[in-house]
Amino acid sequence: MNLCCTLKRCFLNNVKSIRGVSNSMNFFEKGKQVDKTLHSLEDVSEIEPYFPESFNLAAYVNSSQTLQNLLHLNVNLSKIEKRPHIASKILKLDFNNDMKNHILFIKDYVDEENIGQFITKNPLILCEPVEDLQVRINYLKSKHFSADQIKQIVNRNPFWLMFSTLRIDKRLGYFQQKFTLEGKEIRQLATNQPKIITYNLHHINTNSFVIKEEMGFTDIEVKYLILRTPKIWMINQKSLLDRFNYIHNVIKIEHSIILHHPNVLLCRSFRIKQRHLFLISLGRAQYDPNKENYVPITSLYEGSDVEFCRNHCKCHIDDFNLFLKTL
Amino acid sequence: MVQIRNAAVAYKSLNGLICVYKPSCVSVQHVQHIIVTNLCRDLNALPDRPLEKRVEIVGATNAPMQVKLVPNYADDPLVAGPRYIHTDFRCSWATHLGLFSSGVLLLGINDGTKLTYLLNTGRPTRAFKVHGQLGKATDTYFWNGRTMERATFGHVTRAKMDKVVAHIQAAHQKTMYELSGLHMDSQTTYDLASEGLLRPANSKLPVIYGIKCVHFDPPNFTLEIQSVNEYDKYLWTLVHDLGVQLKTVAHCTGVQCIRQGKFDLRLALLRKHWQMEHLLNNMDECRQILEENEHLLKPKSAQLSV
Repeated sequence: MNLCCTLKRCFLNNVKSIRGVSNSMNFFEKGKQVDKTLHSLEDVSEIEPYFPESFNLAAYVNSSQTLQNLLHLNVNLSKIEKRPHIASKILKLDFNNDMKNHILFIKDYVDEENIGQFITKNPLILCEPVEDLQVRINYLKSKHFSADQIKQIVNRNPFWLMFSTLRIDKRLGYFQQKFTLEGKEIRQLATNQPKIITYNLHHINTNSFVIKEEMGFTDIEVKYLILRTPKIWMINQKSLLDRFNYIHNVIKIEHSIILHHPNVLLCRSFRIKQRHLFLISLGRAQYDPNKENYVPITSLYEGSDVEFCRNHCKCHIDDFNLFLKTL
Repeated sequence: MVQIRNAAVAYKSLNGLICVYKPSCVSVQHVQHIIVTNLCRDLNALPDRPLEKRVEIVGATNAPMQVKLVPNYADDPLVAGPRYIHTDFRCSWATHLGLFSSGVLLLGINDGTKLTYLLNTGRPTRAFKVHGQLGKATDTYFWNGRTMERATFGHVTRAKMDKVVAHIQAAHQKTMYELSGLHMDSQTTYDLASEGLLRPANSKLPVIYGIKCVHFDPPNFTLEIQSVNEYDKYLWTLVHDLGVQLKTVAHCTGVQCIRQGKFDLRLALLRKHWQMEHLLNNMDECRQILEENEHLLKPKSAQLSV
């Protein structure tokens, strides 16, 4: 109920101004027609019924030029309307006055086909003043980020520009201090995975604790990991620990090998378990490069099952499927 | 494989029973959720009906007005949302498997939900492979519980195991006649019993028709159990009792359902195949099996036929 009331109110406020103008124009024309015959009808095409209350934006999209323009930019309105407070803010904006400047500003940094996705993920960027956005971009330039890097950051993380310069500065400083990164490295981190800078800080701290204390990596190794695969800091702690536990304690793989192939921690554990148990049943579970019949760790998560069977197990995919049905 | 060209046609044909292989440590609800999500994703990717058009009559009302056919923006998936969502599908299970059990699971999609109810009341027999380990007993009778007891198991031989298992099977078959709800000394019971094995009168009474030890490699062993009305905790308790009878202790390390009625492991779909084409194929095969065996859905007597 709240949604439809707010939507109707916002939309009416938007349209009333236009209707007010046209009503006054009609009144003026009426005076001119006063000497026509009684049978001549008046032009009533400007008078429209009030818009009914609605749960979604689809009811208004046919009459609103703003919403149609957004649609032409490939913005997914059905996702925006799921959050009513955001939808009400968007409806209050007018395309020509408010949104045009923002879109022209964003176009400098985001590719044309990605603009729609950008606005879908972060519609509130249309409510931020353009001067603030410019200040934040200038801050990045002053920190020696190249134009290419800035483009990458803005493209991949639509929420970066919502953070004030002060907050971004604090965050970047925090990462630099925690992992002892140089300027070049923090720039590399921000470009590789811009989402990590604006991620939930509590989550990052817990994951750091898991990686350092519970998994037993040294500081240098942690630094190497964050520069190579920052995504490890963004996954759930329990599943991360679970995966590491299986790989290190059950399959008995050393820290150094995991360091060389950190992507193994990003693969879901059931996949690794399936492939590992199959290799054991074939007697081919040899992960030590010094001995013969060596199978690389990457085989556990890379490639499809067909390639895995062909390259490392030397058998047909049907055998693998039969084995999976016994697990 | 059938080539699907149209989402609407695919949706209309998605009615029936499917047979999937449930992985262990994944709940049945989660399996249903994954399958419905995959179906929605695949259906939304297929081409669908063209966008509707709207009739607009524009112009001044005191002059001849124009009738225009304009595209209806409200029909666009970007405005109205994806064409197929979760609530468009109904998915129900025919027989339940516990969280830690893996194996054959029967699910009904849309119109197949009526079949799942009939199949469930038909009480199909199931075959399980139960893996156990000697020497340790836990409080939940499963590997995830706290260890309660430890005992030696060096004295357990294959022969002893077979003897105990056969004893359990005979005891269960005897109780089967008692559970059928008939009086033990009557002629009707004798007639019924002479024809074969019976189903119990109530759906809450587990009955075991056959147990065999198929693999014995101390401390691990595997039993193959054919039964009706059982649940995963019952099988865990069975392993524990087996350990007690062998004068040692045992706990269960895995339960795998290999057959439900006439639906076999061969038919079950693996997790990586839970996509629309494979599901449609599977639905077809299940439908054939159901047509060949009418008595799965509507059993005529308490006799076991499967």
